[in-house]
Amino acid sequence: MATLGAIILLTTFVVCIYAAAASIAGARRGSGRLIDSGVGALYLTTALMTVASGIIVHAFVVGDYTIKYVQHYSDTVQPLFYKITSYWGGLDGSIMFWVFLLSVFGAIAVSTNRERHRELIPYVVAIIAITEAFFLFLMVIHRNPFDTFLAQVPAEGRGLNPLLQNPYMVIHPPSLYTGFVGMTIPYAFGMAALITGYLDDAWLRAVRRWTMVSWLVLTFGLTLGMIWAYEELGWGGYWGWDPVENAGLLPWFTATAFLHSVIVQERRAMLRVWNVTLVIVTFMLTIFGTFMTRSGVVQSVHAFGEDRQLAYMFTVFMVAIAVISFGFVIYRLPLLRSRHELDSWASREAAFLVNNWILLFAALFVLFATMFPTLSEALTGQRLTVGPPFFNKWMAPIGLILLLLTGVAPLLAWRKTTLANLRDEFLWPTAAMAGGAAALLAAGVRVWSAGICFALCFFVTASIVQEFWRGARVRQEGTGTDVLTALIGLVDRNKRRYGGYIVHLGIVLAFLGFAGDGFKREEQVLLKPGQQTTVGHFMVRLDGVEVSDDGQKQMITGHLSVFEDGKAIGHMYPAKWFFRRHEEEPTTEVAIRRSISEDLYIVMPASDLKDQSASLHIVINPLVNWIWFGFAIIALGTGIALMPEAAFSFAAARLRFPEAANTTTSLLIVMMLAGLPALLRAQHVESGTTVPVIARTPLERAMQKKIICMCGTCGRQLLSECSCSLAVSMRAELAKLVSEGRTEQQIVDYYIAKYGSQEPLASPIDRGFNRLAWAFPYLLGAGGLVLVGTVAVKWSRRKPGADSPDAAAAPASAEDAALEARLDDELRDLD
Amino acid sequence: MQSKGLKIALTTVVLVAAFGGLLWSTLRDGTEYYKHVDEVMTQPDAWYGKRLQLHGFVVADSILRRRDSLDYRFQVQNKGQVVTANYSGIVPDTFKSDAEVVLKGTLTHDGFAVEPNGVMAKCPSKYEPKPGALGPKGPGV
Repeated sequence: MATLGAIILLTTFVVCIYAAAASIAGARRGSGRLIDSGVGALYLTTALMTVASGIIVHAFVVGDYTIKYVQHYSDTVQPLFYKITSYWGGLDGSIMFWVFLLSVFGAIAVSTNRERHRELIPYVVAIIAITEAFFLFLMVIHRNPFDTFLAQVPAEGRGLNPLLQNPYMVIHPPSLYTGFVGMTIPYAFGMAALITGYLDDAWLRAVRRWTMVSWLVLTFGLTLGMIWAYEELGWGGYWGWDPVENAGLLPWFTATAFLHSVIVQERRAMLRVWNVTLVIVTFMLTIFGTFMTRSGVVQSVHAFGEDRQLAYMFTVFMVAIAVISFGFVIYRLPLLRSRHELDSWASREAAFLVNNWILLFAALFVLFATMFPTLSEALTGQRLTVGPPFFNKWMAPIGLILLLLTGVAPLLAWRKTTLANLRDEFLWPTAAMAGGAAALLAAGVRVWSAGICFALCFFVTASIVQEFWRGARVRQEGTGTDVLTALIGLVDRNKRRYGGYIVHLGIVLAFLGFAGDGFKREEQVLLKPGQQTTVGHFMVRLDGVEVSDDGQKQMITGHLSVFEDGKAIGHMYPAKWFFRRHEEEPTTEVAIRRSISEDLYIVMPASDLKDQSASLHIVINPLVNWIWFGFAIIALGTGIALMPEAAFSFAAARLRFPEAANTTTSLLIVMMLAGLPALLRAQHVESGTTVPVIARTPLERAMQKKIICMCGTCGRQLLSECSCSLAVSMRAELAKLVSEGRTEQQIVDYYIAKYGSQEPLASPIDRGFNRLAWAFPYLLGAGGLVLVGTVAVKWSRRKPGADSPDAAAAPASAEDAALEARLDDELRDLD
Repeated sequence: MQSKGLKIALTTVVLVAAFGGLLWSTLRDGTEYYKHVDEVMTQPDAWYGKRLQLHGFVVADSILRRRDSLDYRFQVQNKGQVVTANYSGIVPDTFKSDAEVVLKGTLTHDGFAVEPNGVMAKCPSKYEPKPGALGPKGPGV
């Protein structure tokens, strides 16, 4: 099965290359058949990736430990659910999952837009196929999830990190991923528009919905990540400006900016260069985010391990994207000129523009601060780091300005707002803000930054309510119905606008939660039974510590009594769980007492069973639940905005597959439907449950990664990763060799002499004939690229004889007939 | 047309300068140097009072804890250079003898003063929770 999987990946790679080459050639020659075959090939990749995903999931379910990846991320005792989700638990599988998602999205996007945006489709196919091909290339030559153990297959897997065995972790990564991958589609359409020069608003209409869905899924992923950090990691917060978190946030900023600036282009035909740029930047940031979490460029608490080779490949890919994309933008600048100038700064488009600048600045700032340690090391040789306080110092004002704009923009008119208008619109929201601010001052809330945030929340809410109210009144007068019906009618008539306002309301709620963080209180104490401590208006008493075991794990639970304002309000049970075979990585079970106004959050990081004492980390998190609640409102608003204008008008336009692609496409649709449930499940980030091995010198650490364990049962695991007893003694032996002052070469020679072959080496010696083995995959990749280039150029060149009218007649007639039929169809559609 | 170009250029210059200045001034007090113990301790005078992230290994059996408290005193070494560190609070599970750690804090004449939640144990496990999230089960006293 593993061989089949590997072959399928390779085949998919070839098919992608074909799809790209055929589409480009088809578009340049104007050959409908080549274009169709390119589309068919793209559908085929979806089918192939579905099969490949099926194989790996099957391997996980049956526990096929001949596959390294399966052995690394699952074991027999894992519940079925987590066995399936282990698919995206590690680096290799997550890349494969990425390709799978992209192939599915690509197929859907192409099939829904095929008839309407015919001129763009070949390039859309080509760009999606090339992106898929890049990730497939990574897998085929460097990170193949179907790699098997050549000899000595282990009988049991290593298991997924217990921290990841929880429902949030099952949904969080795939939803982030889906959001990331979804952003490829707008990019593909944007680039197709640039390449073809069809730069009217058609491509925007094609991708608007995609961007909205991807944005929502990305937001969902980020929120789930926060909830996971909050409930599982037990450090008392939900966002720590960790590089991996930031990687998810970066494209979110630019996608948000894009969703706003699209409206300006539609209404006023402005900001066209800007929109194309935003799409490109968003796509690049998703690739960059993937790169950052997977290459070990930045040190992060939850990055996948370090992988230099992967880093180089990603760098090359990203530079290529940047050069080609922006090259086309510059080339097409004459076509992208705005039709209008900004009339006045007191206009809605100006507010949108400012909102865009700030969002882009936020993205750039987060990018800069995330990369700062790496940058400073590269530039000055000194590694300087910046912590969360630095991020907060900048992001708090940025967030507040954005919040203000959320309230201001809807009050401004397009083009120009008159003074009378301004007064009329701003009167009530400003009054609400002033009233709210006065109440807050009276209550003694500090002005910066929570006070301002709360006051702005009043302002934005009032401005949104006013919008709904005025709209509903106008409609009520016009239709003569009651207010509620008018309100529903209003939302129904302009779903995107009013859905957007509801999203804004959700943002306001989330901001309430963020502001609450300013009132956080925390305490770390060591308590003995009977002792108590006071945090805020809560008092916590330790009653004792208890040990229990449920077969899968050992649990140490603290028994606490909690009092609020002197009254007993109940018991809380923070705990630590030690899973079998993961005793070194206990999980922290946080005890949380939730309420609308605040959470009491208790962690027991350590305990002493002898004297029954426990260390406790007690946190009061005010208003934190409003963040999650805000997300629910955001989802509701986006759902409304997404509802089709004229329900399912796009579905009414029947897809007509040309005969050539017929069989593949129908097969593919069946398979897509079969694969859809898998989409609804999810994926993850990475675990890597290695036993802590401390190397004392860099040489020793390096050697532990070059020598494998020779016990014969672990299946050629690296010495730094193997946990068997022989590995322990081998590590000791290695430490001795290093301490004797031997060089790397001497140590390698020692092992070769000892075992009589190169067997103990993790990879063949990089010398002489062996070097061929290293170079081979690269040669293959480079050769493939050259081949694709040649083929594309060759195909797109007309045959020398084809230009003369008599020679063209015979071969082109079939094509022409097909073209004519399509033209007829299109004309009929127009009627 | 020319005046518009000039306006845009001027605005850009002013904005970039303003943000650059702000960024520079906030960076100065927001950053910490990331250093190994030996880099710092060979010339400690240069580092007194500066915010550091200190990378090193916990000296075997050097961890002391004051009875019934969360006050720790331990030694960290790298390439033969040793520094004593003081910390009050909860330490991660993986904080034990010989563990590779990164400490946040400042160097004082009394040793290295670790700030709250400033002990991060590096663990070969690639997927790690937030530093400071997991407490000690290692040696006490």
